[in-house]
Amino acid sequence: MKRTVDVNIPLGPIHPCFKEPARLKCEAKGERIVSAEVELGYMKKGIERIMKGRPWQEVMFLAERVCGICSVIHNMVFIEAMEQISGISVPPRAANLRVIANELDRMQSHLLANFSYCYTIEHETLGMYLLDLREQVMDELERLTGARVTCAYIIPGGVRCDILPENAELLQASLDRIERDLRRYAGMFADGPMIALRSRGVGILTPEAAQRAHAVGPTARASGITIDCRVNHPTYQKLGFVPVSRTDCDNYARIMVRFDEVAQSISLIRKSLQDLPAGIIRGGGICKAGETRYSGEAPRGELTYFIKSDEFGRILEIQIQTPSIMNIEACCHEMIIGVDSIADVTSTFVSSDPCIACTER
Amino acid sequence: MTILQRIKNKVRARSIHVAYVDVGSCNGCDIEVLACLAPRYDIEQYGIFVHNNPREADVLLVIGAYTPGWEEKLAMVWEKIPDPKAAVAIGNCPISGCVFNRRETFIDPPVRKHIPIAAEVPGCPPRPTEILQAILSVRDSVFANWEAEHP
Amino acid sequence: MGFSLIWYLKEFGRTAWIKKFLFAKTAPLTTPSYFRGFPEPTGRICQHALFCMMACPAPGAIEVVHVGKGWMPRIHKGHCIRCGLCVEACPHGVLKSGRILETMEREGTSLVFSFRVVIDPVLCTGCGNCCTSCPVNKVADAQMGAGGHSSNDEVIMKVQAGDVVVIHEEKCTGCKTCEGACPTNAIRIARILEGTQQTVHEGPP
Repeated sequence: MKRTVDVNIPLGPIHPCFKEPARLKCEAKGERIVSAEVELGYMKKGIERIMKGRPWQEVMFLAERVCGICSVIHNMVFIEAMEQISGISVPPRAANLRVIANELDRMQSHLLANFSYCYTIEHETLGMYLLDLREQVMDELERLTGARVTCAYIIPGGVRCDILPENAELLQASLDRIERDLRRYAGMFADGPMIALRSRGVGILTPEAAQRAHAVGPTARASGITIDCRVNHPTYQKLGFVPVSRTDCDNYARIMVRFDEVAQSISLIRKSLQDLPAGIIRGGGICKAGETRYSGEAPRGELTYFIKSDEFGRILEIQIQTPSIMNIEACCHEMIIGVDSIADVTSTFVSSDPCIACTER
Repeated sequence: MTILQRIKNKVRARSIHVAYVDVGSCNGCDIEVLACLAPRYDIEQYGIFVHNNPREADVLLVIGAYTPGWEEKLAMVWEKIPDPKAAVAIGNCPISGCVFNRRETFIDPPVRKHIPIAAEVPGCPPRPTEILQAILSVRDSVFANWEAEHP
Repeated sequence: MGFSLIWYLKEFGRTAWIKKFLFAKTAPLTTPSYFRGFPEPTGRICQHALFCMMACPAPGAIEVVHVGKGWMPRIHKGHCIRCGLCVEACPHGVLKSGRILETMEREGTSLVFSFRVVIDPVLCTGCGNCCTSCPVNKVADAQMGAGGHSSNDEVIMKVQAGDVVVIHEEKCTGCKTCEGACPTNAIRIARILEGTQQTVHEGPP
């Protein structure tokens, strides 16, 4: 069949809507998108090559600089993989503190993704509200770990520092405030008629297509596929974690899943603060030889580290599988096809929360 | 100083358009630049507008450690910015390559080699307040009396 | 459209919003005291253990230099990633950054280095360069010859019957001078870092 293409539209690498450089080449017929392809290669730093032959104290910082937005989960998955290799057990207090740091990081990442979406559909009011809410989450993250973005909080055998009782109370109070605001903003997004015009029914990713493209994370959960690596994590199992999902399959569902997960993160943090056991925060332990494959749930989906280390805990081989590449594939091969206008291309692309830095590393 | 120059100085100091280009960073500095937009820091109260269009920008924020994918392209972006212009390096990556500047890496820091950098903000990542101060420091040193100094 | 208008009127007609709009003051932008900034000297005397340089994950971020008669760590801005590992690794509390030092003292946490010497028997030619270059060996046995032979058993390693034998691994300070002196890259020093906590912290959650 002969394909008629009116115009080729390249978007990016520098584009007002994209945080990061990626080129999206769309073939359009009229304004309807016929096909799209993503072109990467602007961010390749070779992190896995740099990591080889280095001990954990250097690889840890490289791992959390794979992606600056979801840095805590990269740190956590790498360290827990090393712990699995060397048989280091974590004190229960440290395990709960890890969950708190991780969920705070997930909250700020989801709020940032939702801000980007609102900014892309030109609803700046809601976007600024969400960005302001994110600043409050960042404050809590900073109070807990001492840094805003790359926290370096988790080390083998525990965490860097304990949470003080007065800081725990401040965190509780702040969570109440954040939850109240979040409920209002999520309501604004859910009921806004203008927002619905731009997001409901746009960028449909059917469950079959999601499976075909191996979509993960909120993108898959918005299509009714409940995959979440947190159900396999022992600390999350103790906290009674149940993944959220929606079946609307469109941009609206993806944003709402993130709002739901932020609310869920708040309740997880509350629960782990309540059940915070007393005791030490660092058990010690030396990294040893072995190889393993360990997965964790990043804000964007499943994150897998394959690690092989030598007898002193230095990395011999490492492979990182980040979630964004699957979501970007799902986005440009399934979601964007058939979108009605070019303006919806950017918003659909942003709704899948692409992270080019961790895709290319 | 002519009156026209004075007016220009005054206007330029209150209207800075910013474009940011990510030449291979970890995203940490990107989101700190985005955090500057937040009502907490409110970058627009200083007359700074962040929108990612080089053709109407005055200040280019360079983030990242210059990966091979940006060879020639970064210079092209720099040429598209109309005079007077300034580039600010955000974070450690454009200054030194940060933790990526090791053996076996692909990056080619510092960015100073490739385009002229007017100010540098160290930190990995720098706080939004530090980024704000850097942009504001460029405002006075580069844009004031530009016509008089470049006849 | 009508619904939307009413909705926006309702949103911006809230007393809380109007109060904020008219009377809100932007909070001053201060850096909180617990922010982990660039490490600063506390005034305690540096004993040249160099653990800060060994723990540092960023290339060229910290170096210990001569200041006056003593030593002092110097931080290079633009390289330092403000991780605070140097603060935790220093056994003498020379540096401080945010609240890391006080938390360490309160909770009894520390990062402890241990060093292992590994010699690849295939690559090693038994030249003894590592033994003669080692600064600890130099103190233990000043008489050590160019071949790395020694009659002293207090040295870290020495050449015996054409092979380098490691005797006192625990004396190694992890300086990696031997790695630089080895012509065949046969000797490798592993710097093993372990996060430990001495006292049991008993505080209410």
